[in-house]
Amino acid sequence: MNTYTERNRALLQFIITPTILLTAALLGGLRIDAQTRQFIFIAPPLVTLVLAILLGSLFIRAGAVDLRQWLSIEQPALTNLSHLLTLLSLFFASAQVFNSVLPESGLLHWMFAFFFLWTLWTNQFSLFDPRRLLKSLIVLFGTAFVLKHLLVSGFYAPAGGWFKWIGAALLQGIAIDVPAFAPLTGYISFFALVLYVVGLLLIGQEPLRPEASSSASLAVKEVALPANQTYE
Amino acid sequence: MQRKLVQISGIIWTLVYAAIIVWLYATEPRSLKEVATNSQVAAGAYEINQERFNNALALFHRDQFRAARDEWAAADPAQKDSRTQFYLAYAWYREGWGRVYYDNASFKQGLEAVNRAISLAPNGMLTVDDPQLQIHTAAELKTELEQGTETSWKDLSPLKLFRQRK
Repeated sequence: MNTYTERNRALLQFIITPTILLTAALLGGLRIDAQTRQFIFIAPPLVTLVLAILLGSLFIRAGAVDLRQWLSIEQPALTNLSHLLTLLSLFFASAQVFNSVLPESGLLHWMFAFFFLWTLWTNQFSLFDPRRLLKSLIVLFGTAFVLKHLLVSGFYAPAGGWFKWIGAALLQGIAIDVPAFAPLTGYISFFALVLYVVGLLLIGQEPLRPEASSSASLAVKEVALPANQTYE
Repeated sequence: MQRKLVQISGIIWTLVYAAIIVWLYATEPRSLKEVATNSQVAAGAYEINQERFNNALALFHRDQFRAARDEWAAADPAQKDSRTQFYLAYAWYREGWGRVYYDNASFKQGLEAVNRAISLAPNGMLTVDDPQLQIHTAAELKTELEQGTETSWKDLSPLKLFRQRK
């Protein structure tokens, strides 16, 4: 591995990945008011923090994040600190991405939250590998995004349209409290999701370890393997 | 060595960026302009627009309170200048003052502004030496506004018709 490769990998892991995840966290709670076009910052509700913890647990169970590689007593404190900050960025990005695709209040908020909780809870007991988990998450967030930013916001769009007409017919007599946001909010949410997925792809790579300890741990693994055992 | 440098830069950058995000969510700016104003406040470089302040003062002395308030709001968009907030509260007081009754909504707005002025003033004490005013301290103005929002038997007294606006 040449100097550039190592430097670029270090840049990617220590600077670019946390930046991408934090940007997803920043955009996840940002909305634009439909009438005044002013920013509205929505801090992550408690339920999104719970969802982020469940998702984090899923990452660990699926092997997308190997905590022993990210945080280890064999690594220098600086490396551990850097990895910890990246993992914290991942946690807050997850919470904010949930915040971005959850309706802000009312019945729909709790319905969406319930379905997320249900999905993540049942997934805890499924067999996942990192790639399948990523695909599953893209589908999960993509569906929630379409439901919230295309369907539900279409129902309540001030300009009207087909969705509004259908919504009025279907939900007649049901009061669903949905705040009106400018269409730009959907774009912001979309970019937050894209950044989050990119962040997940980057996180999925094995973290950089200091040269000495890395080679030492590999040597230990080789010694520990029996002679007839092969890698899958 | 280079890797360690990148690592340290990454840690610092991540912490700074995270702090910026927390700050944005805490201050909740409503536009990019407000982000810039809030940054100036955070950096200690915030100053009010003196020209607009003077315009507002001239309007205030001509009893054009609404126009004066708009000018003061533009002069101090971050609401961080105690003197401006004091004048803002005074404008609400004078507009809400009536010989027969006080306008409760105006007095409440005035109370909010004077509370801001007090919280911004060093030690919570603010004195404005303006000879054209009859109330010179924020504490006095606050009392006046509080009394205006309270209801009592004194409100029924016909003598109140002879009271003077300060």
